[in-house]
Amino acid sequence: MAWSIPRLSRRAFLKTTGLGAAGLTLLSPATQLVKDAAAEEEEAKEEIYYSICNFCSSLCNLRVTTRTHKGKKRVVKLDGNPYSTLNRGKICARGQAGLRQTYDTDRIKTPMIRVKGRKRGDYAFRPASWEEAYDYIAKKVQAARIKPWEWTMVGGWTSCVFYMNWAVPFAMANEIPNIVASPMQHCVTTGHLGTDMVTGNFNIHDEVLPDFDNAKYILLVANNASIGAVSTCRMVRFAQGRKKGAKIVALDPRRSETAAKADEWIPIKPGTDLAFLLAMMRILMSDGLYDGDFLCRHTNMPFLAYRDEAGELRLLSDAEGRPQVLVEGAAQVRVLPKFTNDNQRDIEGHTFTPALTTPKGFSLDGRAVMTVFEAQLQELAPYTPEWAAEITGIPAQDIRRIAYEFGTTRPAIIDPGWHGARFGNVMMLRRVQAMIQALTGGIDRVGGWINSGEVHHKAAHMYEAMEHGYEMGSPLASLAGMAFAKMVINALSKGENFSHGRPGWTWAWNAQEQAAGRFNVALPVMTDSGLKESVEGRVKFKGEPYLTRAFLINASNPVRHYYPDTRWKETLAHENVELVVLIDVLPSDTALYADVILPNTTYLERDEPTLYGNGVNHDLALTTRYAAIPPLYDTEEAADILLKMTEIISGNTDTFHDWVEKLTGLRAEPIKAALARNRQKMKKGAYQQACREVAFAQTADRLGVTPQHIDEVLRAKGVYHEMDRDTVLARYAMPAKLPVPTESGRIEFYSSLMCQLRDGGHTEPNFSVLATYIPVKLRSGSPQEVAAPLAKDEFYFTYGKTPTVSHGSTNSNNPVLAAINEFKTDVYKGVWIHPSRAQALGIRMGDRIQITNTQSGQQTTGHAYVTRLIHPDVLFVYSSFGVENKALSRTHGEGTATSKLIPYQVEPVVAGFRSQEFTVRVTRL
Amino acid sequence: MDVNMTYTTQEIWTWWLAIYLYFGGLGAATLAVTFLTDMYLKPDRGLVIWGAGAGVVLLALGSLMLFGHLLDKFAVINVLNPLVLFHKPDAWIAWGTQFIIWMMVWGILYALPYVRETDFPRKVPFIRGLIDQPFVIGIAHLVKRFRRAVGWLAVVNGVGVAVYTGLLLQSFPAVPLWHNPAVPLLFTISAFSTAMAFLLVVMYTLMHDQAHEHVRVLYERIDLVLIAAELVVLFSLYQYLKNGSESAVRSLELLWNDYGWVVGFIGFGLIAPFFLELKGVIQGWRSRVPILTASVLVLIGGYLLRHYFMYAGVYAYPW
Amino acid sequence: MTHYAMVIDLNTCVGCNACMAACAMENQTPVWDKNKWRTYVHDKEIGLGSDVHRRFFPRLCNHCDNPPCMTVCPTGATYKKPNGIVMVDQDLCMGCRACAMACPYQARVEVSWADVKEGRAFYGSDYRRRRPSVDKCSFCDHRVEQGLKPACVETCVGSARLFGDLDDPEDPIAQMVASGVARPLMPHIGTRPNVYYIDDIRWRG
Ligand SMILES: Nc1nc2c(c(=O)[nH]1)N[C@H]1C(S)=C(S)[C@@H](COP(=O)(O)OP(=O)(O)OC[C@H]3O[C@@H](n4cnc5c(=O)[nH]c(N)nc54)[C@H](O)[C@@H]3O)O[C@H]1N2
Ligand SMILES: Nc1nc2c(c(=O)[nH]1)N[C@H]1C(S)=C(S)[C@@H](COP(=O)(O)OP(=O)(O)OC[C@H]3O[C@@H](n4cnc5c(=O)[nH]c(N)nc54)[C@H](O)[C@@H]3O)O[C@H]1N2
Ligand code: SF4
Ligand code: SF4
Ligand code: SF4
Ligand code: SF4
Ligand code: SF4
Ligand SMILES: [Mo]
Repeated sequence: MAWSIPRLSRRAFLKTTGLGAAGLTLLSPATQLVKDAAAEEEEAKEEIYYSICNFCSSLCNLRVTTRTHKGKKRVVKLDGNPYSTLNRGKICARGQAGLRQTYDTDRIKTPMIRVKGRKRGDYAFRPASWEEAYDYIAKKVQAARIKPWEWTMVGGWTSCVFYMNWAVPFAMANEIPNIVASPMQHCVTTGHLGTDMVTGNFNIHDEVLPDFDNAKYILLVANNASIGAVSTCRMVRFAQGRKKGAKIVALDPRRSETAAKADEWIPIKPGTDLAFLLAMMRILMSDGLYDGDFLCRHTNMPFLAYRDEAGELRLLSDAEGRPQVLVEGAAQVRVLPKFTNDNQRDIEGHTFTPALTTPKGFSLDGRAVMTVFEAQLQELAPYTPEWAAEITGIPAQDIRRIAYEFGTTRPAIIDPGWHGARFGNVMMLRRVQAMIQALTGGIDRVGGWINSGEVHHKAAHMYEAMEHGYEMGSPLASLAGMAFAKMVINALSKGENFSHGRPGWTWAWNAQEQAAGRFNVALPVMTDSGLKESVEGRVKFKGEPYLTRAFLINASNPVRHYYPDTRWKETLAHENVELVVLIDVLPSDTALYADVILPNTTYLERDEPTLYGNGVNHDLALTTRYAAIPPLYDTEEAADILLKMTEIISGNTDTFHDWVEKLTGLRAEPIKAALARNRQKMKKGAYQQACREVAFAQTADRLGVTPQHIDEVLRAKGVYHEMDRDTVLARYAMPAKLPVPTESGRIEFYSSLMCQLRDGGHTEPNFSVLATYIPVKLRSGSPQEVAAPLAKDEFYFTYGKTPTVSHGSTNSNNPVLAAINEFKTDVYKGVWIHPSRAQALGIRMGDRIQITNTQSGQQTTGHAYVTRLIHPDVLFVYSSFGVENKALSRTHGEGTATSKLIPYQVEPVVAGFRSQEFTVRVTRL
Repeated sequence: MDVNMTYTTQEIWTWWLAIYLYFGGLGAATLAVTFLTDMYLKPDRGLVIWGAGAGVVLLALGSLMLFGHLLDKFAVINVLNPLVLFHKPDAWIAWGTQFIIWMMVWGILYALPYVRETDFPRKVPFIRGLIDQPFVIGIAHLVKRFRRAVGWLAVVNGVGVAVYTGLLLQSFPAVPLWHNPAVPLLFTISAFSTAMAFLLVVMYTLMHDQAHEHVRVLYERIDLVLIAAELVVLFSLYQYLKNGSESAVRSLELLWNDYGWVVGFIGFGLIAPFFLELKGVIQGWRSRVPILTASVLVLIGGYLLRHYFMYAGVYAYPW
Repeated sequence: MTHYAMVIDLNTCVGCNACMAACAMENQTPVWDKNKWRTYVHDKEIGLGSDVHRRFFPRLCNHCDNPPCMTVCPTGATYKKPNGIVMVDQDLCMGCRACAMACPYQARVEVSWADVKEGRAFYGSDYRRRRPSVDKCSFCDHRVEQGLKPACVETCVGSARLFGDLDDPEDPIAQMVASGVARPLMPHIGTRPNVYYIDDIRWRG
């Protein structure tokens, strides 16, 4: 090449021409000096610790590298744990950058107490000692006479996943029936409950990990962050599937990270996915594109059903409530066990094949009877591809083609989806997705949806207990699926569980509204439905106001996560609220509204109080965290804080220990003994260590090994492997080997839960027992207005998660992530708008724009990101920005907050947010 | 690979590097020209002192520009070391730095005897002290004995510097505007043309000595030829780039749509002086103003050339 | 001989930026400046009219076999190891930026004294940089020497980044390069890059 003349390589040069090298050295004393310094540096000592990532519920296994240099030890690198079959040695950007949370200069470094005279909303705090902070809380509790039920606990996903075993006993011991969990209304109940109604699994952060590795067709609906942007354990599998040539189809109004990897991007109109999938389901069912054997054996599709006088569809059952089916090819009815995974054996133990369809005009006892399959097909009759095309804007032939491709390719996956909320019909959407997956038979099968090792393990134990008729001890640790959900609902919704007789205010409020004939929520599990009303004194219990006067918020940031932001601001700042205690690691926007802030250690600085299952991993394994460095600041462990708060609130620490034992199985006596011992030698974390010790001992007992052995394995590898996926599936595949954890043990197309709720007076289409259409209300007002085309400046509003930020979490302040977000500021912090529409409004790339909710009038501003990667009628923002607390120095004031546009509107089943059911107007500023 | 390309100009080497290249070329060529004049045409103390002085001062200033922008000034030692030429014989900056250093050294030495004979430096106490040192006197004697050898060493290094400024730019393959053989030629010619102009200015304003007349005339003629040559090279470069890669075309667009380049550099920096000097050469001017004007224009044009050349370098970045 | 190279499969790059974060942490890059990355991932729309795609396009030093950045480097700070990796010696580099001018791939990153100072505060006792230089990707030479993969490759959630030895015919990346599915950027410049890309876009029609 022209600019390169032949030369000796540097190394060759040094070897052959000693003179030159020596001469250079002589002339470069500076260089030599620093080189000497460098040599000294190499002596740093490197150590490895294993841990778990703390930035999303994908729970990736981590390998933490520390380096000790001149007596100073630092965490220097995080990697995916190479021994982990969950995340396969990989972690996402948030995981990689995670160590900078620990070293974030904005961290909460000591307990803090609000400066006297300064109002909530101001970030005005003075540092305090732990004694002072606890003392302050205790005095306030006494002076204001805060009753147990006047406390409300607020928790985020970290508190759910890692500390549920302490948070729920804490609630029970202190008789606090009020828990708001930030993932519920957005995510767990709204989205997952739909899936779970069909497949039975229910856990806080989803239990299904689709086997993308082996799928040949993958259909993604309203799903991005849970794969492409990114839940590592899912993405690593998805990537392999794609490399192997799986066809990928993505429904999303914008070209999301996932849709960018799809062979086909379907830019669907927001809120209409349900129509698309119903049409698809109709084709699959009517054209026989399903696994008939699977439906007959493992689902309630063959169950006989009839319509009662009120027109309600009910399952035909015998006197004991057992389902009945028709024998294939014979007009014979058989009774099946109430709970089983196999419809081929009736109650008498005879084997037969149940029929999916009944003969024409079939009736029993003078009643027209049909199978669930037939009833569902009937329900789907109007949902033709042409009907769906009209609603979705996707041509009918595309819908038909995709249905055929999906129906004829095996194995095929329709991804379950993750985040719920958005629309009142999302729960139904996720339900239909689960039904479509069940139609392929791809549940707990290679290339389909596969439950986590932990779910299998729990379910197997639960069934064993059921079979042998013994009570399940430790339900928090051992209940699987819908049984778990029911347990939680029972605990908080029933006043009888508490000596003060009060259920949670959310249940009281919704009962009160139902009694008054107003809108109410059927299952407001851990939601904020009624919270503001409770604070304002509008919730009544036995004629008395049921007030909320104190908050204990742990690892949750409702001011940024709930809609609209003003609602929680007003709630927390309300004069009836006497005390807001917040546990966090960084000054979130909610911290602005606290009275006392208690700093938690960060995940790299702490062991954990117990052993955990390995997330959604198909393999069965145990894992936990090991502290890589001692805490940098004056921080404390969550479990210890809860114990101390128990002392303050009720003094019932013994009851707390008992509840921990009752709900989680960790025995009280050894914990107390270890705690007493630990207190002699450690100031902080004594309780957490005590629990950990006992957890190791009990687990060792169960596995027939020593605690030391578990510790050694975990220290060496970070995961304690119990059983691989093949063995798990061979033994516990649900429904092939075990019942699924629904009411009936079968995959439920007909929802028994919905049937119960309907009987409780909930009759909106959301409570349909079968798959059906639920329109969304994007515009209020007259039918004409609804039918009219969008105005020139009117758009549908959508949002989604940022690849580099968790939810609206404080990790937008992470310096590495903040730098990436800044590097991609146009894409990540801009408001996506299509050029054809932008042009008409005179909006160009980067212009400041104003966005106004056409229904609520809420307003906010942003910068336009003009792109063809979005449906022309749609506006999109990444929902991680808009932080207001200046104490988060790298992120405050950046981007557009979704919670400034989204009004308070929820759906009636679980109070899921209808956070996209409106349109917005856009103007250039 | 289907890729899109973004065409952008760089923001790494900007005006300060243009100054470096300009002063480098100008100073070095001035030194070379005056020494050659002194050696072969007419020994001229004033010219040599001016040439060496300007060469050293301009190169020092230019190098200061570069030095001032180094991220690690301490590490400059690595290029000051002459062994760098064994170590990095392919790096033009290494050659350039050495040319600059040795040009300065030989240039000062060559001028030393003259300096000792001149009044002005003796008015500066420090310099007087220095040039009257016995070893300096000894060196001056030696230089006198090997005058041509020393002169040539300085000239070679000077020419080296002038050529180097173009070679440096030529060595960046990503930028078609720079990465072609016309560039070293263009920069060398321009360096000598500006040197002529500079010396003409000096002769017309500071050295009114009639004895310089035929030197001046010669310089004017040479300069005229150089400007003509520069126009030819520029024209060929234009032709070459016009049908070149996309980046080349973008560079051309940037340059030929800019008044600074078209009117400033080509119009006033080349064509106007060309005609002024042409008339001077053919018919002669009665006043010195036109040639002075032409020279000043050439000097300004010389900077403009480098300035716009730096800013118009277009990179193609794929995505 | 070993001849290290990287293949980037654009088909499974999801633009997650894990590589950027991993590289920054592994190599202590100046993250306080949003423009100073050893590797970065473009996130852009590509295509005409409605045939539009979103492409994630990871970029880093190509470890050219004919590296202009090395040729122009006057101090010898930029040099090529026998295993093909193009390195920068922070002790030799004087920060003249000629390499940045010469590199056709926008792969060089300025690290100034101010950055070094900031780095001491940011990375604390473990900070390995002593002086400024015009830095770039090192193919994580320090890891590769220990038989590890580069940090960005190790963590790539899409397994889009693959690393290997072109001189080993058994190596999958050598096969990808040999078969022609993986191709370098702007080969016409003659830099002979060692980062290869597998195209992600099958244009319609
Ligand atoms: N704007 C917006 N809101 C959302 C979402 C969104 O994408 N954008 N997503 C919704 C969904 S799907 C979900 S699941 C929920 C999730 O909601 P959360 O579970 O509440 O989510 P995070 O934002 O991860 O964490 C909340 C708080 O935990 C703190 N934290 C982090 N690490 C620790 C720790 O070690 N200890 C303690 N004590 N605190 C810690 C963070 O600083 C942060 O303030 O949010 C919902 N709301
Ligand atoms: N980077 C990152 N990853 C995460 C998390 C995180 O916070 N950050 N959180 C984890 C958690 S808790 C959750 S719940 C999951 C959430 O993961 P996802 O469920 O994938 O959530 P989102 O990113 O909110 O939204 C997905 C997509 O829905 C699209 N969308 C919006 N409206 C509609 C519509 O009407 N129809 C269709 N078809 N698409 C629509 C958006 O454009 C977006 O691309 O991610 C997990 N992974
Ligand atoms: S996906 Fe990323 S943030 Fe979530 S647990 Fe894994 S590494 Fe952490
Ligand atoms: S880590 Fe891999 S998938 Fe993610 S952006 Fe980088 S190259 Fe692409
Ligand atoms: S990509 Fe640029 S920096 Fe890397 S070796 Fe090639 S020319 Fe040098
Ligand atoms: S900046 Fe450093 S590495 Fe680059 S060319 Fe100059 S001395 Fe060499
Ligand atoms: S190979 Fe190493 S230095 Fe290069 S981009 Fe990847 S992580 Fe950064
Ligand atoms: Mo979530």
